[in-house]
Amino acid sequence: MKLILDRIKNGIETIKDPLGENVYSYGRIEVDSETCNLCGLCEKECPVNAISIMDGKLEMDSRKCIFCKLCIDVCPNDSLEMTHDYKISAIEELREKIRREVYSTFQRSLTLRAVDVGSCNGCFLELSAIGNTYYDMSRYGIHIAASPRHADGLIVSGALSINMKEALIKAYEAIPNPKIVIALGACSYDGGIYKDGYSVIQRVDEVIPVDIHIPGCPPSPAAILEGVLKIMKNK
Amino acid sequence: MDELKEELGKYRCEESRINNLNELYVDCSQSNIEPIAVLLKNQYKLKFIAEFCMDTGKEDKFKISIVFTNSKESYFVILTYTTVDILVSMQNTFSQAHLFEREISDLFGLSIDGGSDVRHSVKHEIWDAKAFPLRKGFPYKGKIKENHEIPNYEFKRIVGNDAFQIPVGPIHAGIIEPGHFRFSVIGEDIENLEIRLNYKHRGIEKIAENIDANKLNLLFERVACESTLAYGEAYALLIEKMLNFKVSREIQSLRVALLELERLYNFLQDVSGICVDVGFSYPAKKLSYIAEIIKQLIERVTGSRYARNSIVPMGSNIDFSQENKRNILDTLGGIRNRIKLIADVTLESFTFLDRVENTGIVKNNIAKKLMMTGVVGRASGVDYDVRKSFPYEIYGDIKKTNNIEHIGGVFERYKLKIAEIDDAFKFIEMALSNIDNEIKKNRPIIELEKGMEAISIVETAKGELMVYGKMGENNKFDRIYFKTPSFTNWKGLTIAVLDEIVPDFPLCNKSFNMSYSENDR
Ligand code: SF4
Ligand code: SF4
Repeated sequence: MKLILDRIKNGIETIKDPLGENVYSYGRIEVDSETCNLCGLCEKECPVNAISIMDGKLEMDSRKCIFCKLCIDVCPNDSLEMTHDYKISAIEELREKIRREVYSTFQRSLTLRAVDVGSCNGCFLELSAIGNTYYDMSRYGIHIAASPRHADGLIVSGALSINMKEALIKAYEAIPNPKIVIALGACSYDGGIYKDGYSVIQRVDEVIPVDIHIPGCPPSPAAILEGVLKIMKNK
Repeated sequence: MDELKEELGKYRCEESRINNLNELYVDCSQSNIEPIAVLLKNQYKLKFIAEFCMDTGKEDKFKISIVFTNSKESYFVILTYTTVDILVSMQNTFSQAHLFEREISDLFGLSIDGGSDVRHSVKHEIWDAKAFPLRKGFPYKGKIKENHEIPNYEFKRIVGNDAFQIPVGPIHAGIIEPGHFRFSVIGEDIENLEIRLNYKHRGIEKIAENIDANKLNLLFERVACESTLAYGEAYALLIEKMLNFKVSREIQSLRVALLELERLYNFLQDVSGICVDVGFSYPAKKLSYIAEIIKQLIERVTGSRYARNSIVPMGSNIDFSQENKRNILDTLGGIRNRIKLIADVTLESFTFLDRVENTGIVKNNIAKKLMMTGVVGRASGVDYDVRKSFPYEIYGDIKKTNNIEHIGGVFERYKLKIAEIDDAFKFIEMALSNIDNEIKKNRPIIELEKGMEAISIVETAKGELMVYGKMGENNKFDRIYFKTPSFTNWKGLTIAVLDEIVPDFPLCNKSFNMSYSENDR
C-alpha cells in the first residue's frame, strides 16, 4: 500500500528524452585556433597523450581523452574549452560498410554481452546505469544477454589485461555472425591511463574488430545510449 | 607507541624510528621477524593489516614490510626485513597471509619459505614464468610475454558420490566484472567455494611509480571507480602527511561532504541490488533511481558523475559556492524520507525477511581471522571503522559511534547499509554547515623529496583502504602499495555461502558487493 502511494506521489520517473542537452556533463574539448600559439604545454601535460601538435595544428583525440581538464588548466592563453557535447562517438570507418550490410539484422533491437577486460569498473557502472528507470534502455530494444550465444554483439570495457585475453576471444567467437563490437571508454580504445602497464599487452581492437568507440572516462549513460543507438540506426 | 619502541629494542632489532607521528618503523631480520610478529599479535594485540615488498635496487635486495595497526591508539607498526630471494611465510600466524605472500612472490620473484599455499595468484597460465614486473630491473612500459608457462591453477576439490562442481566465469551473465567462481556442491548445498581473481590485473603499482606526483591522483581514482573519491582522499592524505600540511576546515568539510555522497550512492545501489536478488522489484528500481539522482547531483557540483579529479592534495580542484551547497541540501531533502519509507517497507515484508534472515552468515571469530573490514566486518561484530579509529578531516568531530550488528548475515549487512545511508545524510548536513564561504579552485604544485614515506588510511564504501608511499627521484614515487578492502573481504564471501543453496549465492554476493578492480589492481 505504501508503495502504491509512493508511486502515485512521484509519478513516472523515466524521462522522455535521455539524450537531451546536459549542461553539467563533460564533453568534447574545443580549441580556439585564433589564440592558441601552439606552445605545446597541453601536449606535455596530458597524461594519456590525447593531444598532438602536428603540421602547425593541434589535434585532440577524444577517444583517448579521460576528461581530466588538466590541459585546460595549464593553457596560458585560455584557448581550450570544455563543451558539454558528449555525443562524440563515431563508427570506425573501416567497419561502417560491414555495419550497413548487417544493419537490417539488428533493426529493432540489440542484445549485447558485456565483457570487462581490465577496467576501473567505471564504464560498467555507467552501462548498468542505462538500465535504471531514468534512462531505461530496454525501451530502445537494448538488452544485456546472459550468454554470448544469445547476443548480437559484445560491449567491452577496460584495457585488455593479459589474463582476460583468452576469455575475450572465446566470448567473441561464441557469438553468432554477424556480430557487433562496442568499446566503452578511453581504456578500451588504447589502454587509457593503464596503457603502459606491464599486463596490458594489446589494444582491444588488435584482438577483435571494434565497430564503435564510445569516448569518455567513463562515458555517461547518455553517451553510451547515444553510441549504441548509432549502431542500430537504420541508415 | 614509545613503550613498544623500547620493548622491541630488546629483541635485537637493528633500528626503529617514529615517522609522521604515528608510524613506528622497526628494522628486523629474516631470523627474528616471525617471533616479533607473533609477539605483536599475541601480546600487544596489534592487528596485522598488510604485507608488501619493495625492490631497494641494491644487489638484488628486497625489503619486506609487515604492517600492523593499533586502532585504539591510532598508530601503525611497520616491521621490515631485507632478503635476497626468500620470503618468510607468516601463513601459520595470520590466516590471510598467503594472499599477500603469493602476490609478492608472483610480482617480485621471491620464494615463499614455509607456507602451505604457494600457488600463483596474479600470474595466470598465459604468463611468462620468469617475468617479475615489480622489480626495478623490469623496464617500465615493458610487457609480459605470453608463454603459457604457468601450471594450471589447482582448485580445492570435494569428492564423493553426489559431489559436483559448478564453474562460473570469468565472464558473468550481466554487467559484472570478471572473476572465476568454483562451487563444490553436494545435493543442493554449497560445500566449498573458491574464487579466483586477478583477471583484471593492470599493473597499477608499477604505473604509479612512473607518473609525476602532481597527476598521480588521476591514477588513484582509477583503481576502482565506485570509490573514486575515497582513493583521491587517500592520495591527498598521503601527500599531506608527508608534508605535514593541513587544509582549511572548509575544504576538509567539503571533502567529507563529497566522500559521504559517494558512500550514499554506493549503499543505495547495494541495497537496491539486494532487493533485486530477493525479487522485490519496486524498492530495487526506486533505490537505484535515487542513486542515479545522487550521481547527477555530484555531476552538477563537480562536473563529473564520480567527482573525478575533485579531491587533490593541499587544496580543492573544484569551486564550491553557496549555490552548490543549497543544491545538495535541496536534493537530499527531497529524497531522505522517501528512502526511509521504501526501506521500511522492505523491513516489514515477510517474504523479504524470509530470504535475508539467517542467510550467508560469517561468525565474528571468522570475520576477525579473515581481516574483514567495512560494513561486512561490522555486520559480524568487528567494531572497527577507519573514520572513528583513524579520524581524518572533520570525522573526529562528527563520527562518534560505529554502526554495528552481530549475527553476520545478509540481513545484518542490509541493515548496516541502511544505517550508513542514514549517517551519510547526517554527516553531509554537518559538513556543509561548516562551509560559509565560497571555496575557490586551488591546486598547489606538489614537490616531494626523495625518501619521504608515509601511510594513509581511509574508509571506503567497501572498508579499510591503506596506502603506503615512498618517494623516489624526480617527484615520482619509488613505491606505492595499496591494501584494498576487497583484497581480504572476498574470502568472507566464500565462508558466507557455505551450506547455503546455490540460488542464494547472488544474494550473499550482493550483500558483500566487493570490488574486483581494486582487488586485482
Ligand atoms: S582533458 Fe586530460 S586527457 Fe583530455 S586532452 Fe586534456 S589533458 Fe588530455
Ligand atoms: S575508460 Fe575510464 S572509466 Fe572506463 S574503465 Fe577506463 S579508467 Fe575506468
